[in-house]
Amino acid sequence: MTVLMYGLITGILFGFLLQKGRVIRYDKQLGALRLMDMTIVKFMLSHILVAMVGVYLLKDLGLAKLAIKSTLIGGVTIGGIIFGIGWGLLGYCPGTSVGALAEGRWDALWGILGMLLGGAIYAEVFPFMRETVLTWGDYGKITIPQLLGVNHWFIIPIFIIGGLALFRWFERKGL
Amino acid sequence: MYPMTEDKGWSPYLAGALSGLVTIFSVWISGYFLGASTTFVRVAGMIEEIVDPEKIKGMDYFIKFVPHIDWQVMLLIGIFIGSLIAATTSKTFRLKGVPDMWERRFGKSPIKRGLVAFTGGIIAMFGARLADG
Repeated sequence: MTVLMYGLITGILFGFLLQKGRVIRYDKQLGALRLMDMTIVKFMLSHILVAMVGVYLLKDLGLAKLAIKSTLIGGVTIGGIIFGIGWGLLGYCPGTSVGALAEGRWDALWGILGMLLGGAIYAEVFPFMRETVLTWGDYGKITIPQLLGVNHWFIIPIFIIGGLALFRWFERKGL
Repeated sequence: MYPMTEDKGWSPYLAGALSGLVTIFSVWISGYFLGASTTFVRVAGMIEEIVDPEKIKGMDYFIKFVPHIDWQVMLLIGIFIGSLIAATTSKTFRLKGVPDMWERRFGKSPIKRGLVAFTGGIIAMFGARLADG
């Protein structure tokens, strides 16, 4: 029950910030996909840079565990391309679709229903995928620091500098 | 980097960074990382369970992702509530069935928009699950 309350509170805070950042709208999502408006990229990358530092600190202090997903080249590349096609048509992400609906953008409702059907269809074909696509290029639970054999605090500043350089470029180009 | 954009929203850098703090606190306090697409699988399974409870029992994907209300389902309900609070308190709530950018290119029909959004949703979720969220 407490866990469910934490989920709800986290969601309320996150949904509030998504709406305030104006990142859940179709025009913003398509703006990024058309390389015209990088608002959602600014939001996502800012989130990642902050969370990356905090989560690794928690890990080093023994206060949290990382939840690393397996690097599945087949699943990620093919799934990513399919997701991209669907995202371009829908114009909302799975998480932001519910936020868009709450903003009154009720076309998101069709997307939510479609995504429920998509989830059900995937559940049907999962046994096939597990035998084929998901076996292609399975590298297990790896991280970049581990792959390079260096401490993560060498990699984190590089990501931060890269992110800030990208932000600077966005602002210069007015994206 | 202005704190306010022209339509009175917050800077995406500020809102994104604050949401990063939300992730940190979530991981710290409850141990959960943010995600969304698993919820669509669980809820789809819950709907199928109502229609035919026997059907989903033997399905490996629903054994892996048991259809029930978990942390992430609550997260998505929370996102709805949080967005609703932000939209109504800032008077940016708009009932719209056709986005502006869509309308300029494809016209006013909410049915046409609905059909493409529905199809896009099916494709997007299939891809997201294949890529494991």
